[in-house]
Amino acid sequence: MICPVCNQDMIVMEYRQIELDYCIKCSGIWFDKGELELLLKTANLGTTGLPTLDGAAKETRSHGRRKCPICAKKMAEVPLGEPAINIDICRRGDGIWFDGGELQLLLKQFVPGPKANQEAIQQITAFLGETFTGEKQDSA
Amino acid sequence: MWEQIRSNKIRSALLITGMGVLLLVLGYVIGLYFFESAIGGMIIALIIWGIMYLLAYFQGESILLAVSGAKKITRDDNPRLYNIIEEMKIASGLEKMPDIYIVDDPAPNAFATGRSPSRASVAVTSGLLQRLNRDELEGVIGHEVSHIKNRDVLLMSLAGIILGTIVILSWYATRVMFFSSMSGGSRRDSKSGGGGGGQIIILVVGIVLMILAPIAAQLLYFAISRKREYLADASSALYTRYPEGLASALEKIAASTDQLKKVNQATAPMYTVNPFREKGRAASDLTSTHPPISQRIRILRAMSGASPADYEEAYRKVKGGSGIVPASALTGAGAVVLRSASAEKQPEPDDVERTRETSNMLWRMGKYRTVDCKCGAKIKVPPSIKESAIKCPRCGRILDI
Repeated sequence: MICPVCNQDMIVMEYRQIELDYCIKCSGIWFDKGELELLLKTANLGTTGLPTLDGAAKETRSHGRRKCPICAKKMAEVPLGEPAINIDICRRGDGIWFDGGELQLLLKQFVPGPKANQEAIQQITAFLGETFTGEKQDSA
Repeated sequence: MWEQIRSNKIRSALLITGMGVLLLVLGYVIGLYFFESAIGGMIIALIIWGIMYLLAYFQGESILLAVSGAKKITRDDNPRLYNIIEEMKIASGLEKMPDIYIVDDPAPNAFATGRSPSRASVAVTSGLLQRLNRDELEGVIGHEVSHIKNRDVLLMSLAGIILGTIVILSWYATRVMFFSSMSGGSRRDSKSGGGGGGQIIILVVGIVLMILAPIAAQLLYFAISRKREYLADASSALYTRYPEGLASALEKIAASTDQLKKVNQATAPMYTVNPFREKGRAASDLTSTHPPISQRIRILRAMSGASPADYEEAYRKVKGGSGIVPASALTGAGAVVLRSASAEKQPEPDDVERTRETSNMLWRMGKYRTVDCKCGAKIKVPPSIKESAIKCPRCGRILDI
């Protein structure tokens, strides 16, 4: 996988049998659709959470600066959390991109909203938090 | 199944001859119009077809595999897949183990190609390996192996090439006609002063033929390929004695929303399931290279045994009308009892394990280096990164690679 920021090969990191692509230059993280599905499946969420993310990406009008490393189309910037941090999500649903440091910011202040469809996002951030900071996130 | 293959051959020979005749008629008209020599046109059409055919016969397999982005694997790369293909090879009585290829694509699909049963390849996508369990994979591989066994692969490439030749000839001929008529057509006037009426008739017939020939050839091509899909399903059920495996595999493939990346009109009929699926629109029966998946699943699930006769019965029940399996194949095979779902000695790998098995195979093939970190993370480093040490993104340890 090629980093959408640095244009060079990313390394692959496997943790709890889920693979992430990680750029050693800019610390950006690519979470591929297939791996997202696996994560949500192991968490017994099925793939019901993913359409929510796809939908959010489709609703968002603003074009991000980043291009999806799979389909090479511009990703949508979807605001998450409060104050909003813009996460790049592929409009075709190929995956999610976190710029270097973005994830850490998100983990610090992200309080999942009351909406039921936040479950998937919650699960994803909890997993990423555990993967990259070694801390178990309180997902309640 | 021998009789079935023979009857296939006769039927296919008829269809191929039909397409060949179409090609010759096209050459005749083109020759008449452009060179004032019908025979010359036919010879040119035949020469083009001959070159393309030779190219396809000797290079077709590698061309098809190359345009699909397939990579060859060995037994060690994926023992599970190798084992299943070996099993199906034995069940079908194929004389030689086909080469195995992997297409790195999340869309689940598979195809077979090759020039003869002793020289053939089976290609599966990584998405297929990730999603299907053993029984389902067996069903799909049984389907592909039977395409090789029934010599469908050579026939389909033969038919595909005639179709391609007809399409190319008509395309160029209509363009040349169009532009030469725009520039006044003086060449024609100077040669034949009197026979204007005859010229117009030939022109009209020519244009109509050039528009219709590619469509007619395509319909013939589809007729050949669709029938073969049903027969391959029937054979797969016979080889595996477990039609439910293929039925459930087809269901999973149909449910996937991924689109194959490297596929085009010419390679589409090769796949188990038509890779061009538009959401919310059922492909019309006449122009589809594959029968509707739902129908294939219903037929497989309606089978009470695993013999071709059982498939025939199920086919009639679901589709009505005349059957699909040639009569001689029905009596030949005798009764074949269904088996139950396979109970494996070691537990079946689940989705996550299958995905890791498949992706690790792809990393190995891509020459990635793997390091395990003490914190539980596994790092896979692409060959383009030359550093000898890398920092674990999870715990910050420096790892030697």
